[in-house]
Amino acid sequence: MRISSNTLFESNVAAMSQQQARLLHTQQQVSTGRRILTASDDPVAAARALDVSQSDAMNTQYAGNRNMARHTLSLAENTLQNVTLLIQDVQTATIYAGNGTLNNSDRQTIATDLSSRLQELISLANSTDGIGNYLFAGYQSRTQPFMDTSAGVSYFGDDGQRLAQVGATQQMSTSDSGADIFMRIKNGNGTFVTQAAAVNTGGGVIGTGSLANPAALTGDNYSILFAGPSAAAVTGNTGDGTISTPTVATQAAVTGNDYSVVFTAANTYDVTNTTTGATLSTGNTYISGQAISFDGLQLNIQDGTTAFIAGDSFTVSSPGYTVTNDTTSAVVLPAPPATGRLPYTSGQAISFDGMRMDIQGIPNAGDQFTVSPSVNESLFTTISNLITALNTPQGSDGSAQLTVSLNRGLNNLGNALDNILTTRSSLGLRLNEVDALQSAGEDLSLQFRQTLSDLQDVDYNKALSDLTMQQMYLEAAQKSFAQISTLSLFNYI
Amino acid sequence: MGSNLYTSALSGMNAAQIGLATAQHNIVNANTPGFTRQEVLVGSRAPQSQGGSFIGQGVDVVGVKRIYDEFLTTQVRQEQTQASYLSSYHSLMGQIDNLIADPTAGASPAMQDFFNALNGVANNPESVPARQTLLGSAQFMVNRFQAIDQRLTDIANGVTNEITASVNTINAYAQQIAALNGSIKRVTATNQNGQLPNDLLDQRDQIINQLNKEIKVSVLAQPDGTATVFIGNGQALVIDEQAMSLRPVQSTTDPSKIDIAYLNGNKLSTIQQSSLQGGNLGAYLTFRDQSLEPARNALGRVAIGLADSINQQNRMGLDLNGVPGSNLFNIASPRVDNGALNTGTAVVTGAISDVSALTASDYRLSFNGTNYSMLRLSDNAVTDLGTTLPLAAVDGVTITVAGTMNAADSFLIRPTANAAGDLRVLTNDPAKIAAATPIRTSAALSNTGSANISSGTVNTPLPLDQNLLAPVKIVFNQPPTSYSLASTAASIGADIPDPVDPLVTGPTSVVTVSSTVNMAAGDPVAGGGFPAGTTILSIDSDGVTFVVQMPVGEATNPPAPATGQTLQIGSYAYTPGADISYNGWTLQISGTPNAGDTFDIAQNINASGDNRNVLLMADLQVQNLLVNGTVSFQGAYSQLVGEIGAKTHELDVTSQAQTAMLAHTIASQQSISGVNLDEEAANLLRYQHAYQAAAKAMQIAETMFDALLSLGR
Repeated sequence: MRISSNTLFESNVAAMSQQQARLLHTQQQVSTGRRILTASDDPVAAARALDVSQSDAMNTQYAGNRNMARHTLSLAENTLQNVTLLIQDVQTATIYAGNGTLNNSDRQTIATDLSSRLQELISLANSTDGIGNYLFAGYQSRTQPFMDTSAGVSYFGDDGQRLAQVGATQQMSTSDSGADIFMRIKNGNGTFVTQAAAVNTGGGVIGTGSLANPAALTGDNYSILFAGPSAAAVTGNTGDGTISTPTVATQAAVTGNDYSVVFTAANTYDVTNTTTGATLSTGNTYISGQAISFDGLQLNIQDGTTAFIAGDSFTVSSPGYTVTNDTTSAVVLPAPPATGRLPYTSGQAISFDGMRMDIQGIPNAGDQFTVSPSVNESLFTTISNLITALNTPQGSDGSAQLTVSLNRGLNNLGNALDNILTTRSSLGLRLNEVDALQSAGEDLSLQFRQTLSDLQDVDYNKALSDLTMQQMYLEAAQKSFAQISTLSLFNYI
Repeated sequence: MGSNLYTSALSGMNAAQIGLATAQHNIVNANTPGFTRQEVLVGSRAPQSQGGSFIGQGVDVVGVKRIYDEFLTTQVRQEQTQASYLSSYHSLMGQIDNLIADPTAGASPAMQDFFNALNGVANNPESVPARQTLLGSAQFMVNRFQAIDQRLTDIANGVTNEITASVNTINAYAQQIAALNGSIKRVTATNQNGQLPNDLLDQRDQIINQLNKEIKVSVLAQPDGTATVFIGNGQALVIDEQAMSLRPVQSTTDPSKIDIAYLNGNKLSTIQQSSLQGGNLGAYLTFRDQSLEPARNALGRVAIGLADSINQQNRMGLDLNGVPGSNLFNIASPRVDNGALNTGTAVVTGAISDVSALTASDYRLSFNGTNYSMLRLSDNAVTDLGTTLPLAAVDGVTITVAGTMNAADSFLIRPTANAAGDLRVLTNDPAKIAAATPIRTSAALSNTGSANISSGTVNTPLPLDQNLLAPVKIVFNQPPTSYSLASTAASIGADIPDPVDPLVTGPTSVVTVSSTVNMAAGDPVAGGGFPAGTTILSIDSDGVTFVVQMPVGEATNPPAPATGQTLQIGSYAYTPGADISYNGWTLQISGTPNAGDTFDIAQNINASGDNRNVLLMADLQVQNLLVNGTVSFQGAYSQLVGEIGAKTHELDVTSQAQTAMLAHTIASQQSISGVNLDEEAANLLRYQHAYQAAAKAMQIAETMFDALLSLGR
């Protein structure tokens, strides 16, 4: 083929400049450490590198968020640890205060101690994160949440929980509202509270009870009323003999039902269970003053001045209790349509509307116990009430009321402690989760860096060997060009 | 016979001399661009008949010929125009490629900084330094967008200058070709034996070649030796000795651009821009219309999407001063350019109504006398907008037409073109960042049930409900399977006069409550001393004053409720965990409430520690909010980088391939037409020998003549 002399030069120059450009590109890759110098070098990898960079930066940001969350959670956890110790101290002091050997001034000393504990508690509840933000104020982090008012210590924060973005899809609450921790503490057993009426005369003591079936709860108030045993002559009797108040002979046989004792002649009588309508016995021989026994009850009838005639009757009530829903005024126990009373056995469970409780001891007829939904009592109120109770001078017979107050206080302190411990365990779980996320985040970060490096970093081995190769090619091109360009026929003519 | 010998030898010497001259011409022009090597054509003279045989008379130079291949020359031209086009386009793309994907200079790190700062505020919503940092990084991000946009503008201005320069070059070449046409025509006409002016033809070919680097032309050779040059869709640039010219003119559709018009005599006519292909000019126009503007639009779309989403979320929150947030960023309205040929009075404005539907395209609104239609320029999709105003939104842009459009009027609408350049931060007050949600909820401490209330969210989309901040109480009824909304009675007005027939309707009373609660006629009202069975009879338009009706049979003078008592209005069935939405908020109550349990929803005043709204803002980073909810802001930006990178890469490869192809074609053409110096050296030797031989023949003839003369001595 014919070669034009210009082509010889031009094609060589073009080839060399192309090799130089490649050499420069490789050299730039080596000097910057980047495989992708501009997006056009590898458009897919360049776009992906931007996305991965964002993911990496976000992951780093989440790690920062987690550190902030850990800081705040740890502060709250430390504070609540102190609150836990404080409650335990107060519990110990309260138990000690119940010691019967203490006198009024001893108790006042304990009250003084508790007062300073209360102040300490208020300052713990008003803890800040060190830069002036209250830990337990909800959203209103610059508002002091707990302050003493005429109505006791009140909460001025709100129910807000601050969240932190601790992972790509995870938010975690980093604060707990002071209301939840210190104020929203249910009294009683947390669901309902049982209480004996102040006028009770018997020795019945009601337990705190427990939740049996949450679905059956109504939130209504109830009262448990004890009645019987009793007996009375029916108005209009001809005979004026009297009936004794029945006594319980066999507790196990007691039914809680109503009965009637009806004379069929001057000296015979029948006994009928009017609640069930069953006739217990007929034609019994009446002897004045002789014991009459049925269904675990024992009583007697004594003659008066006028003898009994057929048709004279007495009503007898077996002892027992009824439960009434005070909100709806409906009788709950015995469960309708049954009427009468349920027989009472000390310590036997009384269950209704999802609640279960027991009464120990012997209540008297007319004694009453109330069951109502638990209400919130703040930890501050509980301690204040204890202080008030301890400051109240007790007479010789007033210790019972003190015992009730102290028991109430202890129960509520227990509830408060449970509440704080629940919050602390939630804090602990969150701290654990932060740690777990942190290590997952570090793994992820490593992966992102690796991906990013694979996408955009130069492979030095390859780049340097490319560089050497390209250098060699260029040198070869230059040398050969210099040689062939001197070849000319003109050299010989 | 003697004279015959002389003339024959002389003709040989002449021919050799011309051969030498031609070889020398080739040698000296070896580096002349466009030069085609020449060759002497010689032929033997017609013989003389002498005694029945023919005797040669010597040699004649028939002519000097260009060694020229029409086909290869045309091919070089075609390859050349494509190569110029690709390499210009590639070098222009390289400019934006370097700009946009740079990991430190692109918008990507600035956006990331901004979202990091949002997280900083979320971690410390009460911290003014954190908020200040956010404003700073917002400003940094805005600067980044503006800088990129400014750079794109600079590149566009550069392209405009290049277009003008290219048009001038084309016009100059056209003049030169026309002049050469004239010379060639005259020289050819005066030359009787049909010899061509080789060097003039080479010059013209060379200029056409240069012209081809600017724009693709087609050439038609005429019998008189002139060449007619066409551009575009067959517009003649040069005919005979006449050169037409091109003019850069302001575009009729987009005043910010220049178009190329065709000047024929005094008549200026527009030519279809897309027909101007190949060469540098083609590259400038294609780059401007198909790469630069879409890139700027795509950048604008990212800017507008981010700014609008942040604005909306900020407006859904409460700032540090306790008032609803306002826009943090300024968003440019779509740019609308009136068509230069419009005759109607219409003034068209655009507004962004849905950022997720935005495309990176421009649009043309036109009217044919009855129908409005919108043409999407990226893919020529037409949306028929019907015959009546107002027009429906197209791809997230709402167009408002004021005045009258005449048939054939058109408007160019560029929704996102200005967005990146006009992005601004609207506030320098750190308190204006709405980190908090406008409402907060709480359960009353006196509640005995175990129900919880969620923290509540603000309903989307904007605008906020006007009653959003009104305090609302939710009170559970007895039994707690339903709840009422409660409000404090602000005043209880006089009884409305007793009904005509107290047996049919009960007595009525006017009540004003302290805040608006959702209520409807027929809703029960409880509390405030009203008897059971009291219902709402009618509601005033203000929403806080209403008439209640007590049941039939109640005393004609109803009980006198006191101002300040809590009224329970309405009754709604309670489903644990179900959404409860009023006054523009939504929340859930779950668990088991007891009768009388109360939940409060109130304005979130003083909530310096609430970070709910700023968390939602930070979350926008990972949400797919653009391109119909398919990509995030960063994703859309990466897409832009990928597209530009891919186009640049493609141009890099094709331009290299085209350059190689061109080099190959030029080598082929040069292998025929180019000068090989060795060959010419050989020619020199050959003609030298020929000359010397002819001279020797002359000498022999003279010797013969001398011998003849000596005979007579």
